[in-house]
This record gives sequence, structure tokens and C-alpha cells, in this order.
Amino acid sequence: MAYKNVFSALISLLVLLVLPLEAHAFDEDTARTLARKNDCFMCHGVDKRKDGPSYRSVAEKYRGNKDAEAKLVNHLISGEVAKFTDGHLEEHKIINTKDVDQIKNLVNWILSL
Amino acid sequence: MNNKVNVIRRVWRFLKQPSSQYSVLLIAAVCFIGGIIFWGGFNTGMEATNKLEFCISCHEMRDNVYKEYKETIHYANRTGVRAICSDCHVPKDWGHKMLRKIQASQEVWGTLTGFVDTPEKFEAHRMELATNEWNRMKASDSRECRNCHSLEAMSSTVQKQAAYQNHMKSKAEGKTCIDCHKGIAHNLPKEYRDPDEE
Repeated sequence: MAYKNVFSALISLLVLLVLPLEAHAFDEDTARTLARKNDCFMCHGVDKRKDGPSYRSVAEKYRGNKDAEAKLVNHLISGEVAKFTDGHLEEHKIINTKDVDQIKNLVNWILSL
Repeated sequence: MNNKVNVIRRVWRFLKQPSSQYSVLLIAAVCFIGGIIFWGGFNTGMEATNKLEFCISCHEMRDNVYKEYKETIHYANRTGVRAICSDCHVPKDWGHKMLRKIQASQEVWGTLTGFVDTPEKFEAHRMELATNEWNRMKASDSRECRNCHSLEAMSSTVQKQAAYQNHMKSKAEGKTCIDCHKGIAHNLPKEYRDPDEE
């Protein structure tokens, strides 16, 4: 009986460890292709800050934030106002796709950096 | 064979001899009008090869780059200003246009030999084809872009601030349109890497 309890606990622990990884699974090539197509790299370098923050700094900012994916997806589809590097405020470009899975894939790639 | 040679000789003799029937003025007028008709016909034919319908008469263009272009701002936009194939890929001024048309005979050869006549072949050569165009545009300082777009005509109040600043910065740095605006009308090749994505 005790053995069964330990076994169940171990399985639960394994699922809890794997589940977050599955939730943020992404295909890097697909993500980069979408970013290139939408000129994302014109304003965001992976490591380089340009008109917008670098993607690595975005990942750092949102690390451990369970709402990160939802927030960033909304950022890309809503055209919400963003603060640019030089301090001016401007609507962020709305990503040119209606495929939410593709957008989530891109966001999860960014968050993985 | 002898008959043919005789005809050629007779025609040549006729052309060489001075006119005894027609005045210089009449001959000049006929040549002038004939020249206009010829030149008009030549240019009409040349402009026919600049039409969208002509470009997409080749399935390689119709099934690949034309489909992609239809999803972009150069096809449909807020103001209804459409750029067709020749607006970006054929110079407007006569000299450069003639050179481009002569170059384009390679493309006719490519069509005849099936260089990119399947989607797979097209994708395999996309980077090569795109790079050729990017290099051509870079060498001409994006001449065809500038037929419609002018940095001097960009309004700081109407254009988005980030875009305007980048445009003025590119002007100061001597950059050209195609340096930043690759993939504006057709899909980027899968091998393409943005300089800032690493």
C-alpha cells in the first residue's frame, strides 16, 4: 500500500514536471519564419535592443510568469500601445496571421530564449 | 535558288537607285510617318510585356510569386494604389528598360527549359532568384521603389513615428529601400536569415 502511494506520488511529480514543458512546446523554425515574414527583427533583435527590447530580455522579464503567453499573444494581436526605446508611445504592429497556434508558437519560442 | 537571288538583287538595286519619281519631301514624309508607326508599334509591344497578364501567363509566376503578392500591401491597400510586376521589376526609363528586356530573354529560356516549372524546383531556386533581384535593386539604389516612394515626400505627421525615424536614419546612412524591405511582396526564401535574428 505504501509502495503504491509512493509510486502514485512519483507519477504525479513526473506529470507536473513534464506538463509545463508540453505547454510551452514550440517549433523554432516556424517561429522564426513567422517573425521574418512580419518584419519582427526590424525592431527586435534576438540579443540586440533596437526600437523594441531584445527577445532575450523579453524572455527574462517574463520568466516564471504564468500569464506570459497570454499577455504576449495579446500584445501581438491587439495593436496595443507600446513604449519604444526612445520613449515615444506607438501602437505595436498587429501580426499578420489569424492562426493563433502560430502566434503562440512564436511567443513560446521568444519565452524560451 | 536562282530566282530568290534574282529577287534580292532586284530589290537591292531598286533601293540603291536615286528616286526619279518621288520628291525628297515625300520620301522624308513617308519615312517620318513610317517611323512613328514602327516606333509606336514597337513600344506598344514592349508595354504589352509589362502587363500583369503577360507576366502571369507563365505558370511559374502565376502559381508562386503572384499568389504570394496577392496577400501583400502592394496588391491591395487603403488607398487602392496597386503596384504590378513591372512597377518593381522593370525600369521605367527607356535605356534601363531595354537592358532589362534583353536580360529577360534568359527568363524566356528558363521557361522553355523548365528551370522552375514545378513548386519544388521553384522553392529550390527561390533564394537564388530572390538574391538576383535584391542585388539588382541594390545596384540601382532601389530605382523602381523610388518611382512611387520618396523619402523626401514622407510626412512625419502621417507616417508612424518609428517608421519615419527609421526612414530618415536610412537616408542619413545612405541605405537603400531593399536593405530593409526584403520580402515586402513575395515570400522570403527559407534560407534567408535576417542579420539581427542571431
